[in-house]
Amino acid sequence: MNTTDQCSYMTHGAVMPFCKGCGHSNILKKLNDALGLLQLDPHDVCLVTDIGCIGLADALFDKVHTVHTTHGRSTGFATGIAVADKVLASGKLKTIVLIGDGGSMIGLLHIVNAALMNVDVTVIVANNFLFGMTGGQTSSLTPEHFNTITSPFGSMNPSLDICQIADASKAGFIARKTATDKDLTETISEAITFNGFAIVEVLELCTEHGTKRNEIKGNMLAKMAEDEGHEIGVIKNSHARPEFSKKYETDVHSHKGDIKPHKYISPQFNHDLRSPNEIIISGSAGERVQSTAAMFTEAALMCGLHVTQKNDNPVTQGSGFSLSEVIISPQEINFTGVSSADYVVVVSENGLKEIQGQDIFNRINEKTIFIIDETLTIEKKGLNLVVLPLRRLCGSDKAAVGAFDYVIRKFEPFPHEPFKQLLAKRFGEYGKIFKEEFYNLF
Amino acid sequence: MIFIAAAKTKRKSFFIQTILSNFVKLVLHYYYGITMNSQNQKLALRSGNQMTAEGAIKAGCKFFAGYPITPASGIYKGLIDLLPLNNGIAISSPDEISALAYCVGASMRGVKAMTATSGPGWALMIETVQYALITETPVVISVVQRLGPCTGGATQGAQGDILITEFATSGGYTIPVLYPSTAKECYELTIEAFNWAEKYRTPVVLLSDKEIGMTTESVDYNKLKISAPEHRHLISENDADFSEWKMYGFDSPGMIAKFAPVGSKVKVTATGSAHNTKGSLKKNDPETLAVLKHLEDKIRAHKDEMSLVKEDHEEGADTLIISFGITARTMKDSVANLRKQGCKVSSLTIYCMFPVPEKAILKAAIGCKNIFIAEENFSGQYRMIIAPLLKNYNVYGINKLGTMITPNEITERIMKL
Ligand code: SF4
Ligand SMILES: [Mg+2]
Repeated sequence: MNTTDQCSYMTHGAVMPFCKGCGHSNILKKLNDALGLLQLDPHDVCLVTDIGCIGLADALFDKVHTVHTTHGRSTGFATGIAVADKVLASGKLKTIVLIGDGGSMIGLLHIVNAALMNVDVTVIVANNFLFGMTGGQTSSLTPEHFNTITSPFGSMNPSLDICQIADASKAGFIARKTATDKDLTETISEAITFNGFAIVEVLELCTEHGTKRNEIKGNMLAKMAEDEGHEIGVIKNSHARPEFSKKYETDVHSHKGDIKPHKYISPQFNHDLRSPNEIIISGSAGERVQSTAAMFTEAALMCGLHVTQKNDNPVTQGSGFSLSEVIISPQEINFTGVSSADYVVVVSENGLKEIQGQDIFNRINEKTIFIIDETLTIEKKGLNLVVLPLRRLCGSDKAAVGAFDYVIRKFEPFPHEPFKQLLAKRFGEYGKIFKEEFYNLF
Repeated sequence: MIFIAAAKTKRKSFFIQTILSNFVKLVLHYYYGITMNSQNQKLALRSGNQMTAEGAIKAGCKFFAGYPITPASGIYKGLIDLLPLNNGIAISSPDEISALAYCVGASMRGVKAMTATSGPGWALMIETVQYALITETPVVISVVQRLGPCTGGATQGAQGDILITEFATSGGYTIPVLYPSTAKECYELTIEAFNWAEKYRTPVVLLSDKEIGMTTESVDYNKLKISAPEHRHLISENDADFSEWKMYGFDSPGMIAKFAPVGSKVKVTATGSAHNTKGSLKKNDPETLAVLKHLEDKIRAHKDEMSLVKEDHEEGADTLIISFGITARTMKDSVANLRKQGCKVSSLTIYCMFPVPEKAILKAAIGCKNIFIAEENFSGQYRMIIAPLLKNYNVYGINKLGTMITPNEITERIMKL
């Protein structure tokens, strides 16, 4: 076995910056031994350290890559490093997080998600039951009744079992050890070797704040954990789940051929439009308002027109109204809102309510044509109203389709052919999409 | 008729154009409304968000981590589809803090990375943005603005995150902020954002807004102005300058040190704490203070090359309108209206919000008396920034909350003067 002297990843003769008797010194020595045991090339090791006394470790390891992060986020940064390394780079990097009990709670989500992803990251939680660096405050991993400066009568809450959290997050390797365990080196090296997410919680003592306020010694830590109902030892070592990059390869990367790149349009139709046409169509969610507006703009694009389409709907996309503002223009379009509509199309009750709510009558002119379904009534006088049996002849799900078809055929902003082609592609033979009567409406 | 059938199915139209006589073309046009004159156009209906995703691919982005938020989710979806096709990876993160931490981690490993969010997500990312800044790690964050404060209006546009994106660092460091105003510019400026991130080793914000991000419009791909992607300048132990190289070293204000990825043969020391040129934590140390200052100096030194604006100057104009993003489009329509009515006005569209393109603004102002700054927020955020530059002018704001400023609103405000 390599000793620290033979293969050290730490600065030669480094002085531990910790208080006398602090568990951190022991944990770092064991980590150094574990790296030596595995004989890892230092360039293939990245130590990601969190905030707190344990986070001072980066300055001690001068051979390996060190990334000292923000509080609690170390596992998040480590996840990005590990994913990029395994999927996009050499895939040889061993990413190890050193985090305290405080940091592990503020960054719990990063630990949970790293475990769920099963990224090749090893998280070592140095748990001394309190925030040491800031003066010994209580943390979420402080056991019930444990005395800290912010729990002078004993901590009120039970401590979080982070190993159980890791288990619930489907981590493959989970261990809870104490800093003085003889086999800590082996457990850490097993965790590092584990191809996937591994967590080792190491129970230890803060001699500055922990032992002064509590009757506790290093050999009582295992018992203390058990009293809290926390299991000790290697709790889980299972390779049942593939490491993230393997899973990515089978679940995503192998499917990339199924992703269809979008098509470009080279306009093949002509148009005689001289000035912009602005259209507002309003209807109900799920009745193809926005998707038909998109077909209309695509047809306009096939004629070489400039287009914009701006959609609006409630945050719950499948309910209530659905609205599109469409502009087609022979020139480039700047302002994308409809300020003086040429057409206002309303195909359902929800749609009517919405345009009245949006104060539509301030966005029309004396020439605006209102196309509304026969089931709807607009109180306002003096509108150029076209009332059509859209819902009856086209179906509620295609009333918007019929309305656009009507606009193109009746007012000819551009040739009907491209829209017809798109409809046929989407719904089958053009002549059979609507009830026969609809085609004779003109 | 064979030719017509082929044209209708849109296949081989370029071929047809070369062989058909003008006579046949005329017949096609007359009877079928088919035009053969647009062969040089490559059109698609795209949203700003989709173009941002495509621009990222062009820029060489290989890693995206996303958390859904309206109106930025289109970028997330776009890159989930595009990255696997382009030797990259896009992953889902459990929150915005993770999203950016994943990206910064990936970038430290040496790949170009990006995330996208809106105001509420940006608020959560601020600590990690500062981490990228102090560790000089390139990363691009697209912030697609929506109505604030707080959750505000998810499906309503706004330009209210100008100050919170820029002034997100303790110490007030300049985060480069680019702001496109069309889907096409989303593509172009996304590439620029990546290039700046690499060149200056900094986080770069690509600001947009709901209206630009989610509105679809016609884009002619043949008209895209594509900057060459900037590659990351990596240090290698075989480089001639390796012996003097330091990860955060510099010998002039504008110098940006070569980058070493974690996992390479060059050891990386990175920290979010104040550090010396080697990356070691040092307190009350002149070198450390010099590194902190250099973080700002390196951006200021390149300010002029980062000045991206579009000036529409009219001879003899005494009025200048300044705008950006969605409101810059409104401004263009208003300028056309005003000129039709005989008003002499110039306009300036700002693409690089920060560092502030001071010289370009002052140049555009020459000869003017009145300067209007139009933006969709109530307090005039960018006006506050540039007003001190414009002490010799009458500066007015055109502001609005909740919906887009309309061309008429700008026109009327200026006519009222
Ligand atoms: S304060 Fe506590 S945790 Fe920090 S070094 Fe001292 S003993 Fe260790
Ligand atoms: Mg602690």
